[in-house]
Amino acid sequence: MFRGTQTPQEWARFDYLLVLIALALVAYGLILIHSGSTESGEGLKISFNSPVIRQGIFAIGSLVAMIILSRLDYHALLHYAWWIYGITIFLLILLLIIGQTDFGSTRWFDLGIFQLQPSEFAKISLILILARLISDRGGDLKSLKTLLFSLLLSIPPLFLVFIQPDLGTSIIFITIWVGLVFVAGATRRHLIILGAFFLALIPFIWTFGVEDYQIERISVVLNAEEDPLDSGYNPIQAQIAIGSGGLFGKGLFEGEQTQLNFLKVPTKDFIFSVLGEELGFLGAILLLGLFLLLLWRILRAAQFSGDTAGQLLAVGIVTMILFQLFINIAVNLGIFPVTGLPLPFVSAGGSSLLTLFISLGIVQSVVIHHRAYRQN
Amino acid sequence: MFRNAKSRTALRNRPRGNLRILWIAIIILFAVLLIRLIDMQIINRGDFAEKAQNNRIIQTNLPAVRGLIYDRSGNPLVDNTVSFSASITLSLLPVDEQKRYRLYLQLEKILDLPAIEISNQIEEFEKKISQSGTLIIARNLSHEQALMLEQSTPDLIGVALEMAAQRTYLGGSSLSHILGYMGAQTEIEWEERKTQGYGFNELVGKTGLEAFYENILHGTPGKAVTEINAYGSKIQILDEIAPLPGQNIHLSIDLKLQNHIAELLEQGRGEANIAAAVVMDANTGEILALVSLPNYDNNIFSSANRDEEYKKLINDPNLPLLNWSLNPAAPGSTFKLVTAAAALEEGRATAETSYNVDSLAHEFLGFDGRTYQFFDWRIHGLINLTEAIAWSSNIYFYMLSCGFPREELPGLGDDVEQSAVTLSYYARRFGLGSKTGIDLVASESPGLIPTPEWKRRSRTGPNFAATEREWYYADTCFMGIGQGDVTATPLQIAVMTAAIANNGKLLTPRIATKITDAEGNLIEQKPTVSTKIPVSQKNLEVIREGMRQAVENGSATLAKIEGIQTAGKTGTAEFIASDGTTKEHAWFTGFAPFDSPEIVVTIYLDLGQGSLKASPIAAEIMRYYLSKMRDK
Repeated sequence: MFRGTQTPQEWARFDYLLVLIALALVAYGLILIHSGSTESGEGLKISFNSPVIRQGIFAIGSLVAMIILSRLDYHALLHYAWWIYGITIFLLILLLIIGQTDFGSTRWFDLGIFQLQPSEFAKISLILILARLISDRGGDLKSLKTLLFSLLLSIPPLFLVFIQPDLGTSIIFITIWVGLVFVAGATRRHLIILGAFFLALIPFIWTFGVEDYQIERISVVLNAEEDPLDSGYNPIQAQIAIGSGGLFGKGLFEGEQTQLNFLKVPTKDFIFSVLGEELGFLGAILLLGLFLLLLWRILRAAQFSGDTAGQLLAVGIVTMILFQLFINIAVNLGIFPVTGLPLPFVSAGGSSLLTLFISLGIVQSVVIHHRAYRQN
Repeated sequence: MFRNAKSRTALRNRPRGNLRILWIAIIILFAVLLIRLIDMQIINRGDFAEKAQNNRIIQTNLPAVRGLIYDRSGNPLVDNTVSFSASITLSLLPVDEQKRYRLYLQLEKILDLPAIEISNQIEEFEKKISQSGTLIIARNLSHEQALMLEQSTPDLIGVALEMAAQRTYLGGSSLSHILGYMGAQTEIEWEERKTQGYGFNELVGKTGLEAFYENILHGTPGKAVTEINAYGSKIQILDEIAPLPGQNIHLSIDLKLQNHIAELLEQGRGEANIAAAVVMDANTGEILALVSLPNYDNNIFSSANRDEEYKKLINDPNLPLLNWSLNPAAPGSTFKLVTAAAALEEGRATAETSYNVDSLAHEFLGFDGRTYQFFDWRIHGLINLTEAIAWSSNIYFYMLSCGFPREELPGLGDDVEQSAVTLSYYARRFGLGSKTGIDLVASESPGLIPTPEWKRRSRTGPNFAATEREWYYADTCFMGIGQGDVTATPLQIAVMTAAIANNGKLLTPRIATKITDAEGNLIEQKPTVSTKIPVSQKNLEVIREGMRQAVENGSATLAKIEGIQTAGKTGTAEFIASDGTTKEHAWFTGFAPFDSPEIVVTIYLDLGQGSLKASPIAAEIMRYYLSKMRDK
């Protein structure tokens, strides 16, 4: 049916550089997770409880998933996009009923050794369904009907994640949609109308849709010192960590903010602060450089893509990774409200890592199969 | 497979996406991050580094070990022990009021301290002392409370169990007024003390020696610079300046004598509620005992139910917190010694000046033309000055002080007011009417020596009629026997008596004799301080002889002791009690031995007669001193 096997030439198109960059980010992450999770100077413990080991295992598993997916024609995924979308919505609803509640939000299924976070996979579902839809409707969003339909499809996952509540991931859904809408060529008139509509909607969302703690977090960004021990504590400590790191950093495992536990969640949401404190500005530049290379490789795939669907998949993935890394680092730098988004490839977290490598698998598939779908 | 075929055809669109817009987005977002990174890590690095430093490094005061207090034989009277308290570190408290209050409610359960009170304490502290820092909210926790608190502190962020030194007083309740007690600083005290390195939570001496010698006992606090982690646990000490322990104080007080006197007063006080005794070295002013009843256990100030006990003390009508040996009362006949000295020194009388006191009631025609009826307690017959002291004749001393026109006696001066001024002059030379300067904190009263000028000045205003301002003939008369407006403290009377006994040295009484450092090296020896009174040795001898006869065969025979001659003077001062009836204070003041005086003993009981109640107690004290302490 689909081209399940690749010819040698097709395998040769596999983007090894992309994988290497991703693995470099993961390795970078492992070092920082180690620093953030242990007392300074302590060796690595070989145990499944060690976040470094866990992350390593997740990385290997995710890598395998990527290789499998890259062998698969992405049109198979597009073919089942509606099913995948449906299952994702079902899981998100189920999560609200039986999910695991932590720190006031319900984001995980507890699967024993592993906590499954469906909202992570929902990002891919959304990219798939939007790519499928736009592709089905002639490859662009010039028609208002298609544009509205694409918006309609984005709302259920957005809403279900928003009420978990997980503001960060909801924002990622919005950016994915916006990214695709822009790239797929909606008309300027439609964009202006929609933009005006959303601006008019903001007061209602503010009043009815946003929890107090979210408003608090936003106001904390505006004045972090106002509430240093509640919602302001983490961003303040993160900024102190990063700022005090300076040009060269205090040295790996030498950051006082990290090692004396002033930084909370230093292996996840605030892992960038560990980096900023211990490896300094140069360490941060290295990370941003790696991300830039990664985004370039994925955009390269978008460029190569043989058809609209392939291109939009790559574009959705670029948007997803770009905004996730931007928001995460911006939170650490105190210029964005605390939203609880992990730093892609770097933060500890299995679901996130798996989702990211699945995305890379899709990108690989787009690259490998681009000649087969070239429309000339 | 129709659907599939359809979708596959549909999927094959030529890609025409505008990727440039994504590149622009990437560049803008990365630029934002980069600018912010440069801002934080390169331009403003110093600010953040300083904040990081403040985060992990705290400077704490290391309180010095407080100096100890010893009695004259070297018995320790205080000890430093450990007490538990609960503290709150303001910077760790949640800012949200509700969250804070929830924390206080949890504390209420453990500390038995109403949450609202904790809240008030914190607000007060924030307003008046500091926005940050640590405040002790409850002291002297019981052992169970301390355990409960320690177990709960991980959940109660900002709350900590603190261990601090506290005072334990060893000598018993008889020393309570002398030693005093410790308490938390008031804002005003702290304003002054913070410049000396005190922490706000440090206790300071509130009364007694603890307060008077605060600067000597306190020592010099040290400092520690400590690295802490986010939970406030100490990681390492980076720098430390060791504290300098406080210095020790050695008292002239004899613990055994002090306790013995407290017992004697307790047994002998009869209906009296208040009793005081002073035993002083007649030549140096060193206080051997200074007793005031009722007393209290000063350890309650470091007990768990401090507030309750304190309330009890405050509400006690006999004011146990007051040191009655430093509080004034009408001195009654003990004051006749001053009147005698004044008359002798002014040449208005000699030892042989005799008057006939032949009835209990005498009609005095005053210089103001009015007739006064004065009483004596006994028909003395013809008596001279020595006998008048020995028998404590009122009429005789009226004649000396205010004069007696019918017998052409002018009194001490040329007129009634002049007589009063002269008498007050001598009273002041004997140390009355002003503080003795004993080394106990300000609770000492100066007493009162009235003058016509004083009466005019103090009785002005709408509450007084013009007649109340006038100085009457009787005012001088009553003053001459230590009544009327005259008041004096037992300690003043003791100092006055010592001046008579030691041939005219007015001593500054003192409790501390020397100060030593923690190793026992002598730092300071307190010198004897005295001034000369303007009364000749010959005249003092007359007064001493009167006092000897008072004990030998006069009004104070109950003070007599076997085998050795002593001297004394009783006093029974009338006063109007709060219920309107006339009651009497009992006094005795004397010295021993008569030939070469060593100690002065002064006794005061708020109710009773001097000759009956105060004399025997004084005799017992002299006996104890002569038999048990003399050689030391």
